[in-house]
Order: sequence, then structure tokens, then C-alpha cells
Amino acid sequence: MRRKGFRVTDDAQPTPGIDPSWVDEVLLAGPADQVALVFETPVTRADLRRLISAKQSVLAAAGLGRGGSVALCLAPSLAFVTNLLAAWRLGARAALLDHRLTAFEVDNALQRLAPQVVVTAKHVTGGPLRGFVEIEERVATYPGRPADTAHALIQLSSGSTGPSKVIARTAANLVEEVERYVKIGAGVPQGGERIVSLASMVHVLGLVGGLLYGLHAGVQFVVPARMTADGILSTVAADPAPTTLLGVPFHIELLSSVQHPMKLPQLTGMTTGGELVRAEVYGGFVDRYGIRLGNMYGMTEVGVIATDLFGEHRPSLTPAPGLTVREEAGELLVSLPASPYLGLVDPARWADGWLHTKDAGSVDAATGRVRIHGRRDSQVSVGGLKVDLTEVEHTLAALPGVASAVVTFDKAIEAYVMLRDGATSAQVQERLAERLAGFKRPRVLKVVEQLPRTATGKLVRDRAALLAAAADAAPAIPAAISAVIPGQRAGQDVTDGATDPVAPAPVKEGNR
Amino acid sequence: MLATYGDRSPADIAEGIDSLELAWLVHQLEQHYGGPLDLDDEALARMSTVSGTLEVLQELKVETGSR
Repeated sequence: MRRKGFRVTDDAQPTPGIDPSWVDEVLLAGPADQVALVFETPVTRADLRRLISAKQSVLAAAGLGRGGSVALCLAPSLAFVTNLLAAWRLGARAALLDHRLTAFEVDNALQRLAPQVVVTAKHVTGGPLRGFVEIEERVATYPGRPADTAHALIQLSSGSTGPSKVIARTAANLVEEVERYVKIGAGVPQGGERIVSLASMVHVLGLVGGLLYGLHAGVQFVVPARMTADGILSTVAADPAPTTLLGVPFHIELLSSVQHPMKLPQLTGMTTGGELVRAEVYGGFVDRYGIRLGNMYGMTEVGVIATDLFGEHRPSLTPAPGLTVREEAGELLVSLPASPYLGLVDPARWADGWLHTKDAGSVDAATGRVRIHGRRDSQVSVGGLKVDLTEVEHTLAALPGVASAVVTFDKAIEAYVMLRDGATSAQVQERLAERLAGFKRPRVLKVVEQLPRTATGKLVRDRAALLAAAADAAPAIPAAISAVIPGQRAGQDVTDGATDPVAPAPVKEGNR
Repeated sequence: MLATYGDRSPADIAEGIDSLELAWLVHQLEQHYGGPLDLDDEALARMSTVSGTLEVLQELKVETGSR
């Protein structure tokens, strides 16, 4: 499907902006009456081009032009899609900020990225479990600067130390990923088919594997209005065209739990990114639906890296065409010609054309297939979103009232904190909610008198020891020392349409 | 019902309900009651805590019972 003569150079050096022609040539070309997207109603390519042009006018009026920079802080919506494509069509660089970040986090990100224009939601219509929302945007100028590189897309990762990493991708790099999907072929939806996307369109899997690939290949990109099991299956049933579900492991579990799913002859397969589901969940899903269930491995920095779209090689995956994966000292490295990070290049992250994935893994010498063994750092996956526990722990420990803290992960993020005199866990919870998005916040915060330490004074991270310390803090009334912190595991990929759906929960104070 | 997601024990269930849990819970409730529940955005928003969910379900029960 690649248009003849199309070429985008992979040169991220300072230029007068990116050539915007890739948007029309790679994404928007095609029959005017072809349905490209389905949100509330179908959107044809002609509709989409018209909507994007209108957004271009608004962004241009705010001063955005070729080589400019814009930050989008929008929930999944038609407004998100059209503003992003409008920014690219103007030749500008778009930074995506998760719509559930706190005002504190957004402020930090804006100061760091210094965009010239910021698009936020002025009014949102929708609620929890919505796959998308309706947004009336607010387009505002910001005292930033033009893009100083020719990158098209900026995304922030949860930082392992200090601030988040700034991940930048060129238009060429995005097109290459779209082409990678084309080359993978079998198991990837083809022109005339549908992708029903349960994965967030503001993150790489849903954005490139769903939206951009769909636009390029003539595959309808469909988002369920409601992300319940019934809402997802009804969306599949609404059209007879062959349909692929794109999601994260949670969606496999959710759909597997449907006792008597309706007959869906058009449902040809499901592909998920993220960690492997348990063998019994995999088997249960395949038995129930009788369709292909595939897995993909990828990163925000690269996009899709390896796939097993037919579940033939579980738990191994085959590297995607054009990428090389190798193992070095137990870590997987992926070929990537240029560093994906803005700012200083940390050689521990990228060096000499190789990206360190920070994933432990191995490569089979005979087949070239890769196997992932888990993270080598403190990153965990929360409903498909990557959260670095170090970021959570540092933020928590830096709060006034907190003497020290340890954050662990066991099905959910948990925090163990020592409070300073006079501080309460409710205050800590309130302050943390100002600084960390809901999905990053601990589900449970336990106050301890003393955090366990090793003989050399290092904090112990063993959950059993921490739980024992928490029990020691108030053995008679353990429940009273637990402050429940809502918001974690806010499934970006489930309720993407919603702002943080979790309201503050009652806090039970301890007797400190 | 919440504990069936992720094979947890009921004691592990926090008061706050996140969106993955909410999607799971709504599905389990719909299967339990044998059909879609009349839950609008406002009702779902209130189901962000265990106690809020109990309130919403109580109201649903009353409405259903009064028909």
C-alpha cells in the first residue's frame, strides 16, 4: 500500500520542520467515500480530510506552522485524531501528554517540552468505560519555542530516575513501523477489514498498530463506545467485515469470562500487546471464540518489535521484518539507527545503533525467535501502561510528611511509608494525587513505624518483610493503618475515554 | 466478584475501584443478572468505590423491584 515515490528521510537534525506530505500520501490517501474511522458514527476519508483541515486552520491561527511545536493533552476522541493529524499536516511536532496526568505533571511536561501551542479539553462529554469521548478543545498559545528537531511525535515515558524520558520519533520512523505491519502480513488486518481497538489510541499500540496502520492500509479503525465485554462484542457484531480485536491482556481475561458469547463469524482474531497471559487464559479464550489469538512485543521507542500472531510459538516471538534483536548479558537489544531520546543520550539506553530494551530475554540461535523473561529495571505494566516504580517511590519520598518510602508491585502497586511527626496518611494521599496520575498511584498505602533495612542500612524490598513491618505498626487494628489510594491500574486501554474515573476513596486513619 | 479478577482474595480488594476492575465488575454483574444493566455515565462514575457501587446496585434493585 505504500505510495510510489514517497520518501521521508530519517534526519532528525534541526530543519525548517518536517515535510508534511507524508500525512496525505501515507495516511489520508484513498477513496473519499471509504469509511476510515468509526467512533460515534462512521467517518469517511473525505470527512476526515475536511475535519483535519478545519483543525489546521485553528492551530495555524494560534501560530502553529511548519517546524512548530504543539502539545496535545486529549483523551481518546475524534478531536485527538484530527488535532494530531492536523498538527502533522502543518509540518509541526506533536507531543502527546496522557490526559490523566495531574496538573502538576502536565505543568512539568510543558516546561520541559516548551511547545508553542497546547490543546486541552475545554469540555468533555463521556464517563467511565467509554472507549472515546466527545471533546470541545481549548487551543492556547504557550511561551515555548519551535521544534528544534525534525521529529514528528514526542511521548513521555515514566522515568526510572528523575524526570521522564522524552521519546521522539520521526515521520520516517513512524512510516517504517506502519510498513513493518504491512510486511508482517498474515495475522495483520488487510484492506477492507476492521480493527476494533481496545488499546489506547494515545499510546503506541493503538496509535500506530491501530490508527495509523488502519489509515494506511484501508482498514476501518473502530472504537467501542463502551468498553464492557458486551460493548466490545456488540461493536464487533455491528459490521459483517472481517474484524480483528486489538487490546491488552486484560481484554483477553474480560472476553474469556463471557459465558455464552454471541456468534461472531466476522471475528477473525485478536492481538494483544504486553505481557503473556497465563496458558489457561489463552486456552480458554481460544476455545470460547475459536479464533487466532496473537501476541506482540513492542516499546514506545520503536513500536512493534516481535510478534507471534497465531500463538504458534508461545512464549517466543519472531522479530518483525527489518528489525534485529540480539541478547547481550541477558538483556534484549533492538537495532535502531538513531537514539529515540531527546536531550542527552545515555549510552546505557542507546548506543551504536542499538536500543537497550531493559527487558531480560534470550534469542534462539537456530530460529532467531526471542523470549522475554521480564523487566531488568523497576518498570511494571499497569493495565498496559508502563509505570516506573522508582518514579512513584521518589515522588512519594519527596512529599512533606514522608520520612521514607518503599514501593513494590504484587498484582498492584503498594507503598509502605514512614511518616514524619504530625503527618497523616490522608495528607500524603492528597499530596500524591496532585503529583502522580491515578494509574501510577499505589493501590494501597501502608504506614509503618520503621521500614525494614539490611545490616548495611539498605531498604528491604521484600513484600513479606514489609507486610510484617506494617502489621507491627498497629497489630491490633491493621485495617486502620491502611489508607486506600484509588486510581492505580486505571486501565488506559479500557476507559481511555474517561478522565480518571476513580473518585477519592475513604481514608482510614491510623492511631499515630 | 471483584476478587475473581486476578485470582485475588476478597481481603485484597481495596475500596477504590479502578477502570479495569469496573469493566470486570459490570460484566460479572450483567452475567449474574442475565442481561445489560441500565448504568449511565453518572451511575458508572459513582461506582468508583465499593460503597458507591453498593449504593448504585441498591437503587437499581429498588427500581427493578418497583416495576
